[in-house]
Amino acid sequence: MTASLGKHFRVWRRMAWMSLGQQLSYGVGAAGFLLGKLIRLFFFFAYLVAIFKHTNSLAGYSLTDIAVFFLTFNLVDIVAQIFFRGIYSARRAVEDGDLDYYLIQPCSPLMRMAATMVDFLDIVTVLPVLGLLAATWHRLPAVGVWHAAAYVLLILNGLAIAFSIHVLVAGIAVRTQELENTIWIYRDLMFLGRFPIDIYAAPLRWTLVLLVPIGVMTSFPSQALLGTLSLGWACYAIALAAAALGASLWFWRRSIDQYTSVSS
Amino acid sequence: MRKYLHVFSISLQNVLQRRASLLMDRVGGLAAFLAIYFFWSAVLGSKDAFLGYSRAQMLTYVLAMNLLRAFVFTGRGWELVNEISSGKISSYLLRPISYIGYTLSLDMAQKTVHLVSAVLEVAVLVYLVGAPVYVPQRAETWLLFAAATAASSLIFFLLEFMVSSLAFWTSQSGGPLFCFELFLQFAAGTFFPIDVLPAGLQAALRMTPFPYLVFFPINIFLERVSRGEAAKLLLIQGCWLAAIFLATRLVWARGLKSYAAEGG
Repeated sequence: MTASLGKHFRVWRRMAWMSLGQQLSYGVGAAGFLLGKLIRLFFFFAYLVAIFKHTNSLAGYSLTDIAVFFLTFNLVDIVAQIFFRGIYSARRAVEDGDLDYYLIQPCSPLMRMAATMVDFLDIVTVLPVLGLLAATWHRLPAVGVWHAAAYVLLILNGLAIAFSIHVLVAGIAVRTQELENTIWIYRDLMFLGRFPIDIYAAPLRWTLVLLVPIGVMTSFPSQALLGTLSLGWACYAIALAAAALGASLWFWRRSIDQYTSVSS
Repeated sequence: MRKYLHVFSISLQNVLQRRASLLMDRVGGLAAFLAIYFFWSAVLGSKDAFLGYSRAQMLTYVLAMNLLRAFVFTGRGWELVNEISSGKISSYLLRPISYIGYTLSLDMAQKTVHLVSAVLEVAVLVYLVGAPVYVPQRAETWLLFAAATAASSLIFFLLEFMVSSLAFWTSQSGGPLFCFELFLQFAAGTFFPIDVLPAGLQAALRMTPFPYLVFFPINIFLERVSRGEAAKLLLIQGCWLAAIFLATRLVWARGLKSYAAEGG
């Protein structure tokens, strides 16, 4: 088990270095993408701060609270992008025959596919998010150990759900050679995670908790940190992630079992 | 002119035929629309006014924003980059047709479909949540708003065309285009009206063409400016349109001179 993990880590590291080389050779383009990501982060944050110059609270949340929600959303979203970005090329891997090649390699084809693209631009983008989060954390009233632990746990939980969604999408790509629509629905719906789910009307809020669990991924960790998440909902989040992981991995294995090579 | 109308007609049919892509595009826009709408609804809370906007005006800003995002920010920048980089544009350059006019016809077809879809989305949201809608009190406001919207759509088209033309000099123009589009959305007041920003930043943005894309047209619609001011804004917008048109023509002409038809 340890040897297998070590081997997969070495493969991932090698692929990551190759991605870095690729991105560095794309200097102007990469700089544009990086600047765009930073503009999106800072402009959005600046607008939120500016709005709070004219009001004291938003749905009962202070600026610090809203900043926690916004930055936590960014953390979950960007880290998921760093590690699972390669899944976006799943359809191409199937169509070009790369998946056939992955299947004969002595490592997980899913990990191999995900590692195809490690986005270093997102690694750079996550640094200011962590910096702002640390600064925001200091403005919170004393955070208890349990709240902090629940926050970290639910962020990891959110990443597990994000992983499940990406695995599901990869499975769909293997079965149908369709990907763009599914993954972009997910990317677009993630916009709703920028704000606390409490601000949405009840039907939308329940949808984001039960059907498309973006609220569980992005809002629950912040609610746990602020002490507004009940134990029951925290347990629901963990059970949901476990079920999503199990179901998506089962779907992926079934997809690979039934795969008959599209391109060769 | 007839040939451009034919292009418009064929493109319209093409957009309508690819209904899944259209639907996905709209889902993306809808997520941002809902998030921003409920965000502002939460900011307003029980307040009757915010930043000089009445409740109806502020929520109408968000509704109008969805319409303008659909009509102004729908574009073919990425296709243009691809056509230049792949050399596909060569076949268009040989035809007895202006490429800018051809692209504008394609663009207008897309914008038309997206605008109709956005109108339906707004109508459904207004019906479902009972959103208050500000209806202009003066009849000429509709005319001024329509003129400002048409001009802002052309400004965006030309700006995007100009930035996409960087593909004549570098195959990495996707990065700058990505960065430009994101910056434009924030600087135009697409997600938040620029009045919330500090006075210095507002003044700086007002000296650029960007607020003329969304912020000023919506302010005209909301009658937050007098007739005289609206006419002045339209005049300045016209000047920006003329200046950007000339700059785009210049960049395009220079780009064509350096075009080497790689891959074409």
